[in-house]
Amino acid sequence: MTDHDKPVILVAEDERSVAEGYELWLGGQYEVRLAYDGREALETIDDSVDVVLLDRMMPKLSGEQVLGVIRERGIDCPVVMVTAVEPDFDVIEMGFDAYITKPPERQELLDTIEQLLDRTTASDTLQEYHSLMARKGALQTQKTEEELAGSNAYQNLLERIETKRAAADENLGDMGSDIGFVSAIRDLEDDDFGDTGLDAADDFDDIELDDESAFDEAEDDE
Amino acid sequence: MNDTYDVSGPLPGGVLDELPPGTNVAVIGPTMSGKRDVALQLLATGYETDEGILCITTDSAVTICNELERHVDALDRGRVGIIDTSGNDGQELLNAMTENVSSPSDLTGISIGAAKLSQQFKSRGVTDLRYGLISISTLLQYMSSKKVFKFLHVYTKRISSTGALGIYTLNTDSHDPQVVNTMIGLFDGIVELRESETGESEFRVRGFGRKPTSWERF
Repeated sequence: MTDHDKPVILVAEDERSVAEGYELWLGGQYEVRLAYDGREALETIDDSVDVVLLDRMMPKLSGEQVLGVIRERGIDCPVVMVTAVEPDFDVIEMGFDAYITKPPERQELLDTIEQLLDRTTASDTLQEYHSLMARKGALQTQKTEEELAGSNAYQNLLERIETKRAAADENLGDMGSDIGFVSAIRDLEDDDFGDTGLDAADDFDDIELDDESAFDEAEDDE
Repeated sequence: MNDTYDVSGPLPGGVLDELPPGTNVAVIGPTMSGKRDVALQLLATGYETDEGILCITTDSAVTICNELERHVDALDRGRVGIIDTSGNDGQELLNAMTENVSSPSDLTGISIGAAKLSQQFKSRGVTDLRYGLISISTLLQYMSSKKVFKFLHVYTKRISSTGALGIYTLNTDSHDPQVVNTMIGLFDGIVELRESETGESEFRVRGFGRKPTSWERF
């Protein structure tokens, strides 16, 4: 995100009136950058862009080609395909994170962008959720059920787990959607790129139940 | 759509007869405790009543189909989809739709396969689906437990939000107990298997918002 704190949306759409229509809808909440063909989109995009809306059919470069170059450059922001025809499965395989059929409803456009912005934080939230769950798992192997039941720190951990799980699910959005589901899995693969380590397991030896700090560190020990 | 999924076959005594849509169940236990067989029976139980089976296997599709056919009369290609992550060149099967993925660590490939197969089921009017993942232990040989955990969180959420039933197997003696406990936390409930000192197969059920059962014989 930029200094202005408004998420940046790049709209690549060759019909000027349509592009300006999107800008009108989105301009209140987001910083909107317009590109009128695929090449311009590639000139405009950089790491500050948070979501890209790509028209499928554009002169010079198609939406699919633009997506390919964006990914080649290592820019991993979510990309929405805007398409006049109901897309096939290939849109999912190409690596788009969502699609919208033309002409979109204003609310649909806003909801899609909001959900994708949320999902960009899902992987971090899942990371924190895993960390807390690993801590719980470690305590379960080291302590008896009675010890855990009597520990305030453990109860506190359980509450934090519930809160984090709810946050992770909220960020993920609707996993019943095919493209949303594949995009979410792709995100966590990208984030863990290089994490081929067969277990960089967290070291939870000798956690003391009365040691509150053992719990507080959970989010920082990745 | 199902109100509940019938799971009364594999476990005796009415301990676990039915589960609500969206439930995720792990069948866990040490090597040779019969997890795979129980999981396959759980997958196959609704097959005669027009449910579909969508199974991720780290073995070949042929192997898993042969095993499933021990529990159903005959598999119908329209209601069975297998995601074969063994990396073998997948042969076209007559009794199942297949999606081939090069390795168990290709999670994007697995998710695309699962989404494709679920679209196939939808277009054929198969609305009640049982998802299998056999096995989590093999995934853990290819990826860090953190990555497997994150994948499974998203995957279990996919199953709960589509009202399906998810069945998983996890070998308890091939991983750190801490890893096993962490993974177990992802599921609504656990069917745990063991062999007693006298060599009898035993099971117990934990989770599902109920009191844990004690060990019982099959």
